[in-house]
Amino acid sequence: MRIIIESPQPDDEDVVIVRCASPDQRLISMLLSFQTAQTELTGYMDDKIVRLNYQDVYYFEANENRVFAYYHSDVYEVKYKLYELEELFGPLDFIRCSKSMIVNMEKIEYISPLFSGKLEAHLKNGEKVLISRQYVHSLKVKLGIEEVD
Amino acid sequence: MLKEFFISLLHYFVDITTAVLIAAASYLTISGQQMDSIILWEILLSGFITALPSAVLICLDTKSVRLSLILWIVHFILIFCTTLILLDVFGWCSITPESALLTFLAVVFIYLFTCLVHYLVDRKHTSLMNQQLKKRYSNEEDHR
Repeated sequence: MRIIIESPQPDDEDVVIVRCASPDQRLISMLLSFQTAQTELTGYMDDKIVRLNYQDVYYFEANENRVFAYYHSDVYEVKYKLYELEELFGPLDFIRCSKSMIVNMEKIEYISPLFSGKLEAHLKNGEKVLISRQYVHSLKVKLGIEEVD
Repeated sequence: MLKEFFISLLHYFVDITTAVLIAAASYLTISGQQMDSIILWEILLSGFITALPSAVLICLDTKSVRLSLILWIVHFILIFCTTLILLDVFGWCSITPESALLTFLAVVFIYLFTCLVHYLVDRKHTSLMNQQLKKRYSNEEDHR
């Protein structure tokens, strides 16, 4: 693959054009990560203010009008609404798994069915999160098992 | 959400109707009773009526496992009471302690049958999802 970098005309904005036969998920994720890398995610824990790396977030959860980012073992409050986080990180590997939760697919160890008819995602830090039936389709779409409606 | 509801309704209708048919066939064979062909329509109707709350329940977005469990217990009681009423309305039997016990056992059987069928189908789906997850992230690790 060749990489060509051209200078735009003085009044033109910077543009990234990808010319390829079939862009795979990795390429799209890489381009979207480049865009999202500009997004500053600040976490608050007690008196600490921390700059968060979204790739280390296991899941975001909304609880009583507050939204929290869950790391491996730490929990930070973030000043975004859940739908804003979904818009920001949805194009990456984050997926809505219930009304109050967005999970990082990269942190899912495996998914198992429950006898109650729901699915459960087992995360790499040992936590388990429920996947609501209504979001299973979008998860399957993201994994390339089903197509977009 | 609506699409998910109708898909679940159809799946539950098929599963419950099959289980009711098995239960009814077993009961009629053992008891030696004869029933009119109307029973087939009644089985279909009872399958649809009991599939409705099941489809609603599966689409509810419960936050905790505990709440989910409470809803399932309420759902079971609702299905049991609905079945008892339907048995009386269809004239299959009158409500006595014995018929209530038999109905309870039949509902438990149908409940377990439906849950098992759904669990097995979901297990197949999650196995495919896990394969895709593994493929997707092992590829990414290889590229890092």
